[in-house]
Amino acid sequence: MDPLASLASLAHGFSIALTPTNLLFVLIGVTLGQLIGALPGIGPSAGMALLLPITFGLDPITALVMLSGIMYGGMYGGTLTSVLVNVPGEAASVMTAVDGNQLARQGRAGQALAAAAIGSFLAGIASVIALVFLTPPLSAFALNFSAPEYFLLALLGITATASLGSGSAVKAMIGATLGLMIALVGTDPIQGTSRLTFGSLELLEGIDFLPVAIGVFGIAEILVSMEQTQSGQVIRTRLRDMWLTGKDWAECRMAIVRGGTVGLLIGLMPGAGPTVAALLAYVVEKKASPHPERFGHGALDGVAAAESANNSAAHGSMIPMLALGIPGSASTAVLLAALVLLGIRPGPMLLTEQADLVWGLIASMFIGNVILLVMNLPLAPLFASVLRIPYSYLVAGILIVSLVGAYAISLSLFNVGLTLFFGMVGYLMIRADIPRAPLVLAVVLAPLMESSLRQSLMLSEGSPTIFVERPLSAVLALMVLLSLTLPLLSFLLARRAARRAGVAEALSHSSD
Amino acid sequence: MRTTNLIAAFVLLALSVMVLSGTWYLSYWADFAPGSAFAPFWVAMTGVVLAVALFVATLLDDSGEPHSFPDRHGLVRVAALTAGLWLMVLLIPLVGFVMAGILFCLFLLLGIERRPLLPSLFATAVITGLVYGVFIAWLGIALPAGPFGI
Repeated sequence: MDPLASLASLAHGFSIALTPTNLLFVLIGVTLGQLIGALPGIGPSAGMALLLPITFGLDPITALVMLSGIMYGGMYGGTLTSVLVNVPGEAASVMTAVDGNQLARQGRAGQALAAAAIGSFLAGIASVIALVFLTPPLSAFALNFSAPEYFLLALLGITATASLGSGSAVKAMIGATLGLMIALVGTDPIQGTSRLTFGSLELLEGIDFLPVAIGVFGIAEILVSMEQTQSGQVIRTRLRDMWLTGKDWAECRMAIVRGGTVGLLIGLMPGAGPTVAALLAYVVEKKASPHPERFGHGALDGVAAAESANNSAAHGSMIPMLALGIPGSASTAVLLAALVLLGIRPGPMLLTEQADLVWGLIASMFIGNVILLVMNLPLAPLFASVLRIPYSYLVAGILIVSLVGAYAISLSLFNVGLTLFFGMVGYLMIRADIPRAPLVLAVVLAPLMESSLRQSLMLSEGSPTIFVERPLSAVLALMVLLSLTLPLLSFLLARRAARRAGVAEALSHSSD
Repeated sequence: MRTTNLIAAFVLLALSVMVLSGTWYLSYWADFAPGSAFAPFWVAMTGVVLAVALFVATLLDDSGEPHSFPDRHGLVRVAALTAGLWLMVLLIPLVGFVMAGILFCLFLLLGIERRPLLPSLFATAVITGLVYGVFIAWLGIALPAGPFGI
């Protein structure tokens, strides 16, 4: 598809997104996202999973514009809690809390919120423009994919999570393996035999994605937040403080460009997501900044870079999801599951088979970002007042809605029990420092992985060389291998550096 | 963290053995294609390898990083909430979803969080109204009803 055709499709997308119903649900989605992002202890992925059952009665386009609104709205909302309470509203706002709260303590909360909002908006819009022009060619290219490429792409989605994540690669892979084990339960999709059901009729149809996502993300985060009584001190901010001076803008503008670019590139990679993007953008900005000593003590450009990156990555991760059917982050995994639940088959054919849906969704992101800019500049003090509601009242509501949502999937109390079970699993994973996003990604990708693996081996009569025969599959196989060796390499390098540091320290002690 | 990691490695190993034994009777390779036990076998093997890797890495690690579980007070709060949630699920067939939800809200707000009575009752009423309005009235989902028909 040429760029002009993309623009024509986008114009058609606007005609869909601007219908009163869709416009209303964009507003509902971004408002919910803003609130969910602002609430500590519940991130956009959890919010999307919790609210997915509400979309069952909606038209698929309306449902998706609302869910995606929650996803990127959460990126904006997380800033409020980070800056005003020093508690990241969601994981991608961790770096914002470092400098944002320091700025708030210096009486510059308004400037921190304004820089974050403007950065998020500009990077978000730029990322959606990239989405407009990159999705169609990538989708057309993916039409050349066959079973081996699909298997390798899904596998890359999982292994990349381990290699690009911020924690232990082994633990990230453990999370993914647990997800694959969960996905094995039920009826074999090719031969129809029951697997790992242990005689339970309820497990014959497999474990639904939603009880896993609601439990592992939603309930688990609430259990962690219950460990101590919430008593954060909210710093007040006023509308007249939400103003950037020429000096502030000069400090931020390149940070926004750099953060947005890093965010888009990270968002495109399977498995990385907004948290990694914000971390990386912060590090890049600290290196590029003329005053790196301010980082950690209230650097406005640090806030702008991290916030631009996380919003840009949230939008960028939509590109592989829409073009290939491969989610790039936990939030897009929930969005992909929503597509399946709404009866839509994700993959490269999505753009041609469901053009209205894809272009309506993309157009809604432009509208949603504009609404969020208004919410986060003049209306920021209003949303900040929500943070003064005692958290325990919100916890009760979130838990009840989660369980009703879990029941609504299949009208079965078994699913409610499963949700609680996975909530406990998620809590133990948090405490054992095992990341939960790879588990959820694996649950989503496992059916595609298994069916394409078995189809490939069927085609090759059992020969694994089918995965390297075609240039495309060979490149993907190499990328999988690289993603597996990268953590090992960085582990060995870190060990070597530690040893050298130990030797240097010993030498310095001996010279004393 | 050392003990937590060793327990995690052991649990993963146990799960992998469970996957292997639970699919042992299925065919690994059917006539011309991988059988139903093909994927479980490789997933379980990956689990075994990762469990051993975590076990070895933990034994080699001498950083002495402390575990991240909360203190006794925190654990009691988490256990009370989990027990309350399971009790709610058990109560649903007896008193209905809405009534079980109301009882759970009151248990959480008054029993665990020690919030004042009136705001707790108000919050419970708002949450119940929200569940009724969205799920029952709007989406038409038939939640299990109790003896009073709600």
